[in-house]
Amino acid sequence: MRFESPATVAEAVTLLNEATGTVYPMAGGTDLLVRLRSGFVEPDLIVDLKRIDALHMIVQEADGLRVGAAVPSAELNEHADALAGWPGVCEATGLIGSTQVQGRCTMVGNLCNASPAADSVPALVAAGAIARVVGPNGTRDVPVEEIPTAPGRTSLKKGEIIESVLLPTKPAHSGEAYLRFIPRTEMDIAVVGVGISLTLDDSGICTDARVGLGAVAATVLLVEDAAKALIGTKVDDAALDALAAACSAAASPINDKRGTIEFRVEIAGTLARRAAKIALARAQQN
Amino acid sequence: MALTDIDHQPGISFSLNGKPVRVDGPPSERLSYALRERAGTRDVKVGCDAGDCGACTILIDGNPVCACTTALGQVDGAVIETQAGLFAADPIAKDLAASFQRHQAAQCGICTPGMMVSAVALLRDRSKPDQAAVEDALGGVLCRCTGYRKIIDAVMDCGGTTANPVGGVGTPMARVDGLPKVSGTERFADDVAAEGTLVLRLVRCPHHRAGFELGDLDAYKLRTGLDLILTVADVPGDNRFGVIPGFEDQPIFADGETRFKGEAVAAVVGSADIVNALDLTEFPVTYTPLPHALLPKDAAGIGDMHKGRDGNVMCRGFVKRGDASAALQSAAVVAEGSFSTGFIEHGYIEPEAAVARRVGDRIEVQCCTQAPVMNQDGIAILMGLPKESVRIIPTAVGGGFGSKLDLTAQPYVALAAWVLNKPVRVTYSRIESISTSTKRHPSEITMRIGADADGTIVGAEFDGIFNTGAYASWGPTVANRVPIHASGPYKTPNYLARSAGIHTNTAPSGAFRGFGVPQSALAQEPLYDDLADALGIDRLEFRRRNALRNGDPTVTGQVFETGMGIVECFDVLEPHWKRALADAATANAKGGTVRRGVGIAGGWYGCGNTSLSNPSTIRAGITLDGHVVLHQGAMDIGQGANTVIAQIFATALGVPVDGIDIVGPDTDVTPDAGKTSASRQTFVTGNAARLCGEAMRARILRLANVSGDAEISVGDGAIRVRDDGGERLFPLDTLTPDNATYVLESVESYDPPTLPLDENGQGVPYAVFGTTAQIAELEVDLELGTVKLLKITAAHDVGKAINPLLVEGQVQGGVAQGIGLALMEEFLPGRTENLHDYLIPTVGDVPPIETLIVESGDEHGPYGAKGLGEHCLIPTAPAILNAIKHASGARVAHLPATPDRVRAAILAQTQSPSAKN
Repeated sequence: MRFESPATVAEAVTLLNEATGTVYPMAGGTDLLVRLRSGFVEPDLIVDLKRIDALHMIVQEADGLRVGAAVPSAELNEHADALAGWPGVCEATGLIGSTQVQGRCTMVGNLCNASPAADSVPALVAAGAIARVVGPNGTRDVPVEEIPTAPGRTSLKKGEIIESVLLPTKPAHSGEAYLRFIPRTEMDIAVVGVGISLTLDDSGICTDARVGLGAVAATVLLVEDAAKALIGTKVDDAALDALAAACSAAASPINDKRGTIEFRVEIAGTLARRAAKIALARAQQN
Repeated sequence: MALTDIDHQPGISFSLNGKPVRVDGPPSERLSYALRERAGTRDVKVGCDAGDCGACTILIDGNPVCACTTALGQVDGAVIETQAGLFAADPIAKDLAASFQRHQAAQCGICTPGMMVSAVALLRDRSKPDQAAVEDALGGVLCRCTGYRKIIDAVMDCGGTTANPVGGVGTPMARVDGLPKVSGTERFADDVAAEGTLVLRLVRCPHHRAGFELGDLDAYKLRTGLDLILTVADVPGDNRFGVIPGFEDQPIFADGETRFKGEAVAAVVGSADIVNALDLTEFPVTYTPLPHALLPKDAAGIGDMHKGRDGNVMCRGFVKRGDASAALQSAAVVAEGSFSTGFIEHGYIEPEAAVARRVGDRIEVQCCTQAPVMNQDGIAILMGLPKESVRIIPTAVGGGFGSKLDLTAQPYVALAAWVLNKPVRVTYSRIESISTSTKRHPSEITMRIGADADGTIVGAEFDGIFNTGAYASWGPTVANRVPIHASGPYKTPNYLARSAGIHTNTAPSGAFRGFGVPQSALAQEPLYDDLADALGIDRLEFRRRNALRNGDPTVTGQVFETGMGIVECFDVLEPHWKRALADAATANAKGGTVRRGVGIAGGWYGCGNTSLSNPSTIRAGITLDGHVVLHQGAMDIGQGANTVIAQIFATALGVPVDGIDIVGPDTDVTPDAGKTSASRQTFVTGNAARLCGEAMRARILRLANVSGDAEISVGDGAIRVRDDGGERLFPLDTLTPDNATYVLESVESYDPPTLPLDENGQGVPYAVFGTTAQIAELEVDLELGTVKLLKITAAHDVGKAINPLLVEGQVQGGVAQGIGLALMEEFLPGRTENLHDYLIPTVGDVPPIETLIVESGDEHGPYGAKGLGEHCLIPTAPAILNAIKHASGARVAHLPATPDRVRAAILAQTQSPSAKN
């Protein structure tokens, strides 16, 4: 097994593209090292992305905030612009593991780990985040919901990495929130995670909404029916009921020790309703 | 993946605790391993290797991170600080260490490095953090001993100056062994092996039950470069161990058939780099899965696993008094129900570990243990050696709670070191630890309790099935103890209790804080609520009315004329109970989906072995140069025996406690103080220490020919005795020494008085019972089924608090484990074998805990003290379940009360209103 720490994205892409066998890019390593040492993965090459300065940036661009792949969660959650503009995304990344994990782990690593229960992903989906993918054939921008394709699998091609994620600037009167359900107070794997982003017009009617739902299907879902339940309403009780019903309908979870199927289906709706209320309150203040 | 195949690259350079270091290891290696094994910083603890427990927290460039999920190759050029380095160089860490000492924030100390390092990062950022910030900073570090509250207090009080008093019985002094824990110098079982020590790993069966055949071991050994492979064929003695006479049934290596998933079939031994890199799924063994049972109901159908235990029934327990059936028939009201609990994992943060070396014809084992002399006996039998040829030198123990009573890692390294004549070490991975260590017995209980119209209990019937797993371990203790305790601390004149321990193909169930009593309380206490509600009597008042008083017979007919303190426990809780009920009513009047509830439960526990001799011996001496030395063999697994036993001895002898040198457990130099279990150390060893101190004092007083009130001091090569007649000096070199070590030596033993139980379980099973009652206040989110604890108020009759600070520590830690039992914990073989699937409470799960110490004295205990360790968690879970019912109307009878179960119970309640009660 080789371990390389390139200094540029181009070098990383070349290493990943030219390597044979199983290759893994590594950012924080908080998932990969555990899987590596448990014998679940046996890579021939690990490419450490943390040495690439360009991936450590958080940059305000014309159309949003760009967050580099090597930015630890802890750093993102201390960034004033991120906290102000994308509280749902920050709530979600702030729930990945513990403080001690957040000092290493990254939002992009969480996305590429492709766990259906990944905390940051429903919030990123709701925020309409766009992943910038760099590979041997150049650069492409991909909506985050198209990155995970199955548990542990992504749509990235050989040699490709996600260089950064763009959090698009929201219109006025927009708000977002993320809520996660776990049996314990902290540090657990989501039973259900819901990210909601919505925009109101001047009269308080919802004009746009996105709902990301995690841990209730093989990948994080963008639930369009849930968004439709909100758009055109004042996000009143009837709309929230419809939102909850749409989220429950979209959920197809498994039974496990953290919750039965019936419970997770119901909680997907309950949590969505609560997240929407928080997002609404934020939108009304923005 | 073999690490030897790795292209070695130039070493990784970084600053470690202020010094530049260069570590030569594979870049993908865990930083935790590299720091411990290559850079020698063994104050970095490894608890899970998965970022779940936080014990390995270090600072990288000032940020707290888990070293186990950081790759060595990623820290080139970084600045790394660990607990020991911070303690040495950072004034904040020194202040924090002092505060940890003042608050007893370190019990066993295994999580302390992670806690302190995380807290230092926070305190550098802000010197006076609020509680929320502290909880956030510590949220990723698990502690199984303290219940977290004292850690929070210590962080918030960093820089405080209040000093603890120092003194004997009754003094809330800091632990005498605390400094190494807070300064990073404590050495646990994985911390003592010398560099280059050979490493042992176990080959474990992946099936619940299987036949197996070993392949070509010699070829495998040659191909992999191992030093040794051990199997059942290499066990020189009797290949079975156990803890209860007549029930020694567990092999260290399976002999032809494995009986639970994770049972060892072989061990491999070699250099660290070779052994750690082995993929043991390639080990030459072929398994043939056999029919298995994981639940008692299926156990009869798989054939007997142990000769003479028909239908896989290990043993039964029975207590009968009066005529329960007739009493229940005549009762005005009867409450009944079925209840169940699952396997509970001890979850100590220090996995099992041991290192052994052969010294001539003797074998020496350093290990984390609760029972060094039992370990010595067991290893001698397994190795076919005389007991004297085995020496156990316990290390610091990073939590035990019952599971470190049994042999685990020790025999393997003892055998390997014996064969190779070289030191050998082993450390269980977290997965090995959880999958193979003993567990709390799962229980399936049905119970009926009847009361007459004025609320007096008239009778109870109890049937409990306990899943004892593949081997007996402490199963017989649970089967015997439960029927004695299932009445709770209440007068129950007509009583019938039956228990059975059933073998299944799971890890053995053994000792875990309470030995089955917490499970039986989870049936009895909810039914008491049902009776009180049915009769319209306040739930505390109903319990107090029925509580045992001095002079009342227990269900075994035992009568305590003094020291039955359960009524006082309810009395001291009463104002809290009234306040809590009023608060809940006020909160609930506002409506909403979050409802508040208050629950109460009582509990009791007999200290020491059930109707069996369990003596402790304490040795002490005065050296020629005037040192008082206490040979203290009671294992301190965090609970504080080192401190409490020293305080008792100091009071009995009449000298300052801080002038005593303590020689810890070592089977060569310290006599047997028995096992640290069954809440017996303060009571039994404490009595031995009292007797030893008194005997030594009596000798000195005789020497001086003075009265009992004289003051004694020892030091500077002399004993001084002062009374009304003035001071007399006895130079120690003028006295005839007792032996080569001590001028004066005393050795005293204590064995609690008990009597055997008859065929109906009547007799005197314990010399002492401790009692307790607790209140849980909580909120239930009716929509989500989540439970948020607000406060636990815990009243404990400890007879006499030898050290009130340590009493609080025991109570808070026990309560935290009760919270886990109630709300989240369940070991499922093959499914919850790590600390992110097996959930234990984090800092955010434990609410403020108020401890109310009741001191009712005791006829037998040292200075009236009783044991406490087990009692603390017995009422917690039933109080929580009763509070959930109070809040939501829903009774959760099958634990853990996870949100999905609470929500399902709420839905069932609303769908069928007739199901109330």
